[in-house]
Amino acid sequence: MSATIEVNGLSKWFGNKVAVSELSVNFSPGITGLLGPNGAGKTTMMRVVAGLQVPSQGSVSILGKDPRTDPEIYRKVALVPEDEAVYGHLTASQFVTLAARLSGIDNIEGRVVEAIHLVEMSDSSDRKLDGFSKGMRQRIKVAAALVSDPEILLLDEPLNGADPVQRARLIALFRRLGEEGKTVLVSSHILAEVERMTDQVVAMVDGRLAAMGHISEIRAAMSDKPRRVYIETDQTRRLGSALIQLDGVVGIELDEDRLTLQVTDAQGFARGIPKILADGNYDVTRIEPTDESLESVFRYLVEGE
Amino acid sequence: MIHLVSHLYRRTMRKGRLIGLTALSAVPAVLFPLLVAGGLEGAGLDEAYAGVVTGAGYTFAIAALVISGGILREERDSGTLPYIYMRPYSRFSLALASVAAGAGAAATLGIAAWALSVLTGLFVGAGPSVTGTGIALFVPAAIGYAAVFVPLGYLYSRSLLIGLGYVLVGETILAFVIPGLAQLSIWRIAMSIYASFVEFGPEAGAGLGPIAPGAGGGIAKLTAVLVAGVALLTWALRKRDAL
Repeated sequence: MSATIEVNGLSKWFGNKVAVSELSVNFSPGITGLLGPNGAGKTTMMRVVAGLQVPSQGSVSILGKDPRTDPEIYRKVALVPEDEAVYGHLTASQFVTLAARLSGIDNIEGRVVEAIHLVEMSDSSDRKLDGFSKGMRQRIKVAAALVSDPEILLLDEPLNGADPVQRARLIALFRRLGEEGKTVLVSSHILAEVERMTDQVVAMVDGRLAAMGHISEIRAAMSDKPRRVYIETDQTRRLGSALIQLDGVVGIELDEDRLTLQVTDAQGFARGIPKILADGNYDVTRIEPTDESLESVFRYLVEGE
Repeated sequence: MIHLVSHLYRRTMRKGRLIGLTALSAVPAVLFPLLVAGGLEGAGLDEAYAGVVTGAGYTFAIAALVISGGILREERDSGTLPYIYMRPYSRFSLALASVAAGAGAAATLGIAAWALSVLTGLFVGAGPSVTGTGIALFVPAAIGYAAVFVPLGYLYSRSLLIGLGYVLVGETILAFVIPGLAQLSIWRIAMSIYASFVEFGPEAGAGLGPIAPGAGGGIAKLTAVLVAGVALLTWALRKRDAL
């Protein structure tokens, strides 16, 4: 799939502080999670991509155009900024109408109603934003971004402040937009939420690209980090001594009713374990990898442990 | 672009601020008809008039600084700038809209101050001829100040302090000490236009410094200030971080 956002050798610094360093990454239609701990440079990268900040070095192009020099691109790009800021004196409907008017779109009334409906805020459309909770503000910002039906949606921590039900609904909405072929870039430090939205991630640490791609591919590429496999059985000692014979098993932790293996060759392990279990007639109730999740992968990337 | 101007104008014209800044702008303008009604005549009146015009130069300039300097500064500080920046307008259009909104907001204050002085004049029997032409002073000043303060507000977070320095030191002390600087004084440029509509006595005329009265030259200078202000803001919107 061709890239809609291209970031080439991007660096951004503020005085002596380097926020983003030599970042090269492309984004294609679908949802991509932008991960990183606080201070990793996610928001700065998002702002540079949005054209709100000037690259110190390198370049950004959206649909082949530079957002800094070609404002027409903003007909196809929308940002939900991280800040809670909204125009408190406006009602929800007025806020989304303003976004529609400034974007120069037609049939404003219908689009505004539709956008507010998408984020399930129709009941609050005549209330002033000053009285909105953080989660409601987030949702109305999403509505203001969606009103122009953008091809590219930049979402900076869009789930901040939303309650669990709202989060689930917003996640479903973002997934649907991704499936419709829009490029949706979502930054978040809440990994479980990103995991519910997409398998495609870009991880940043200290302003640099730490990893990109499918979560399982990133995990597979960490050859220096043995995978941990959890096995629940009441024959831990006997099974443990059998499994240590398998190629790629480099460590075993024994507990009363479980084993935790460290495995360097996951595929070899997957091929070999059925035969061992069958031959030894072991009673195993559960086998699962414990560090395949996004959280584990991310911890390895950030903390190196 | 009209939606952008309208949004920026309405956002900055909050009720409390509008009342406070109108009151600030109106104090000297309202004083004059009161002085006329009090029987002041001749040289004393000319002296009082000079004081009123100079006073209005301070109070209106400060009000214009607050209202127009905040046009984009507030958007930046509050984090709402992306809502207007990420729109399909050229940076020139955005700059022009911002200065237009700033000028409109400052002019509203000026017109309100002028209207108050006319009403006061009518109330005390001074007649509209005393204050009727004041609009020719406030509106050009509003345009000039917006052209200076809107870009200043966008570029510097301490724009209020810098603007006060310009008004209190640049426009008064430095402009008197260095005659060349008087040519750049927005208030004097506005006064030179105003002087086409009223007859200044020697005291009030002295406030102009080396600037020759006349609408033509004043409007030309005002246009130059406006072009420079919009150009500077366009450059800043293109080349500087918006957040």
